[in-house]
Amino acid sequence: MTQLLQTYWPALAIALALGLVMAWYLFTATRRTRVAGTVRDVLDEGAAPAERNRALIDSAPAATRDPAPAAPAQSGGDDLTRIKGLGPRIAALLGELGVTRLADVAAWDEAAIERVDARLGRFRGRIRRDDWVGQAKLLTSGDEAGFADRYGRLD
Amino acid sequence: MPVWFELAVTMLAAYGAGIAIGWGLWGRKGADTRRDDTRG
Repeated sequence: MTQLLQTYWPALAIALALGLVMAWYLFTATRRTRVAGTVRDVLDEGAAPAERNRALIDSAPAATRDPAPAAPAQSGGDDLTRIKGLGPRIAALLGELGVTRLADVAAWDEAAIERVDARLGRFRGRIRRDDWVGQAKLLTSGDEAGFADRYGRLD
Repeated sequence: MPVWFELAVTMLAAYGAGIAIGWGLWGRKGADTRRDDTRG
């Protein structure tokens, strides 16, 4: 055995070196994830950027979605949503048509009802179904008891 | 036992020893310094 080692030590050294090269190749050269630099965190940049971000998060949004349009959109108009079956969206729609007062609704004749009804889109038919004209007449006359009798209590 | 067989076994052993040394040098170190890729 010792004679073998003495005779063939260069071959054994080459085998050992080959093993080392193979190990280096396996454990280092083919490693996919390399540690390249350090990951920078926002806090590494100091407190100022973090505070700025915090302030941006806490600040009020730059743009907000409008809630449902307020019922008495036009100045001097009545609250048309007092009419049962007439909500803020329809009130805004009527405002665009120039109808802002309960008296306007109370004064509608059949032709006016047809004209407005045609503009109500998916709310079409509500004027007659909920008797807006009758409601508006009672509301403009101030007959709340009569209104409550016929259409239910005012909210 | 023939000499060529002894030589082959010894060379294989040397090769294995080389890999073991390499694993000690580079293999274990890599396991310790594995990066956390879930951050950042």
